[in-house]
Amino acid sequence: MTAATQHKTFSLARVFAIASNTLLELVRLKVFYFLLCFALLFIAVSLATSTLTFQEQFHSMKSMALGGMSMFTLLLAVLSTAMIIPKDIEERTLYTILAKPVPRFEYLLGKLGGVLAMLLVAMALMIPMLVLVLYVKEQSSLAAASRSLAPGPDRDAALEQIRLAAFSADLIPGLIIIYLKAAVCASLTLLVSTFATSSIFTIIVSCMVIICGYVQHFAREHALGAVAVGTVSVMNFLVKGVTILAMLMIPDLWAFDILDDATGALPLDLFAQTASLGGVYIAAYFLIGYLIFAGKEL
Amino acid sequence: MSTPAITIQKLTKIYPIPFKREKVTAVRELSLTVEPGQVYGLLGPNGSGKSTTMKIVLGLVAPTAGRTEIFGRDSRTVESREDVGFLPENPYFYKFLTGAETLAFYGKLCGLGGARLRERTRELLALVGLENAADRRLGGYSKGMLQRIGLAQAMVQEPRLLVLDEPTAGVDPAGSREIRDLILDFKKRGITVLLCSHLLEQVQEICDRIGILHQGVLVREGQLDELISIENQTEMILENPTPELLAEIRAMVGRSKGRVVEEGRPKRTLERYFLEVTGGSDE
Repeated sequence: MTAATQHKTFSLARVFAIASNTLLELVRLKVFYFLLCFALLFIAVSLATSTLTFQEQFHSMKSMALGGMSMFTLLLAVLSTAMIIPKDIEERTLYTILAKPVPRFEYLLGKLGGVLAMLLVAMALMIPMLVLVLYVKEQSSLAAASRSLAPGPDRDAALEQIRLAAFSADLIPGLIIIYLKAAVCASLTLLVSTFATSSIFTIIVSCMVIICGYVQHFAREHALGAVAVGTVSVMNFLVKGVTILAMLMIPDLWAFDILDDATGALPLDLFAQTASLGGVYIAAYFLIGYLIFAGKEL
Repeated sequence: MSTPAITIQKLTKIYPIPFKREKVTAVRELSLTVEPGQVYGLLGPNGSGKSTTMKIVLGLVAPTAGRTEIFGRDSRTVESREDVGFLPENPYFYKFLTGAETLAFYGKLCGLGGARLRERTRELLALVGLENAADRRLGGYSKGMLQRIGLAQAMVQEPRLLVLDEPTAGVDPAGSREIRDLILDFKKRGITVLLCSHLLEQVQEICDRIGILHQGVLVREGQLDELISIENQTEMILENPTPELLAEIRAMVGRSKGRVVEEGRPKRTLERYFLEVTGGSDE
């Protein structure tokens, strides 16, 4: 008689156990602290934008800080995700986990869950820094405006403009998009790691796909545009077919680069469209990764 | 008649070689049965197909042909793993977890939780003699301690079958003895053990039945005593024999059709001598 309870086809408790263990593993990696320190430093440095008008200063600060957050979460997503499965295979930990009544789907879902939770932790540590930096700038700008302008409607309007230019709820959709972009890259890296033989191979392939993801938009327009104006031929069909395949396999990361929009108000429909695209990419890469991992010989 | 712990029927595994037309046959037409409560030793040189066979039994690798079952359940199904615990060769586990956390993690994977899991963790730490190292991270464990925590994780859901791949590889003699004693303890509890090892002396001490694989083919299989005993010889060990008694025995043998093949003082093993001299464990 075994001590284990009756086997369930899908168990959220097992997924949670793997995800929380993966989160613990990732937040104890040196690369996590290294990248996080750099990101926090980058956000703090964005304070030093002094030669512009205060609206430009706030815009520039937000662009720089959000750009830094986007870059570091993306790096964190790729570097940490690339390690988890190859390391489990190399150290044979994967054998001991899959020799338990754990379906491969749950293992992979737990790993993705752990990575997404780690990215949330990273965002949760970076956002207070961003808020702090914007608050410091807001207070110093308010003090400077109060000193330089005489009391009256003009000063009140200037102070109100400063308050509006500082941190506001308009930034939240932009922050969510930054998180989703990193999550898409994490999901893509997890997919690569299901057939890769090492972490370094996973990192190289994932980085190449991500770079292609940034130019996919141009390549797609160019290829499909050329086909549209050209004559109907086998070559045109081939170009179109390859382009569509590439569009399916390579994420359109350009679509997530709406940071300039994020510094102002982000239209709800654009936010919803980008967030849905992110969700579709994450789900699609996870499912393809699972199909590869399900048949993988360990 | 009880269901066999492991049934392997005409198992074949062929690995393709990438970018080549050649293929490697790791296991060929292997059939064997491990009965409940047995300690079965699967022996063979490197590359003989032992690990592949174990991985197929555990569902980690798909067979090219044939079928494997664990207590009557197809070993490709996840459910079959409810009854099996596995310790791979040279496992590392998660170094950032303590011994207790490691067992809790594997317990959760098997559906345990709450007070039941805490109790099971305590039991297992006591069983493998690691109560004092329960809160120490695995990164600080010695090789022998890692193997023992590995055995404990394999036992977490009280499986009826243990699959052990080189459980004493790289462990010092004291640690090796402790692991061997643990396996014998599992045997007393009625747990079936499939053991792969290169340490033939250890296999001889523990196993009831063995199978020898060579180039993916099972070349010998049977009860250990039957396979290694020499039919026409008898061993007799005497304590404090006088020279007169020995002379009389030799004379009697001379008068009969028998022959003294070898005579001398029996020796303890080097391992036993080493353990007597050092006497400690590796903790």
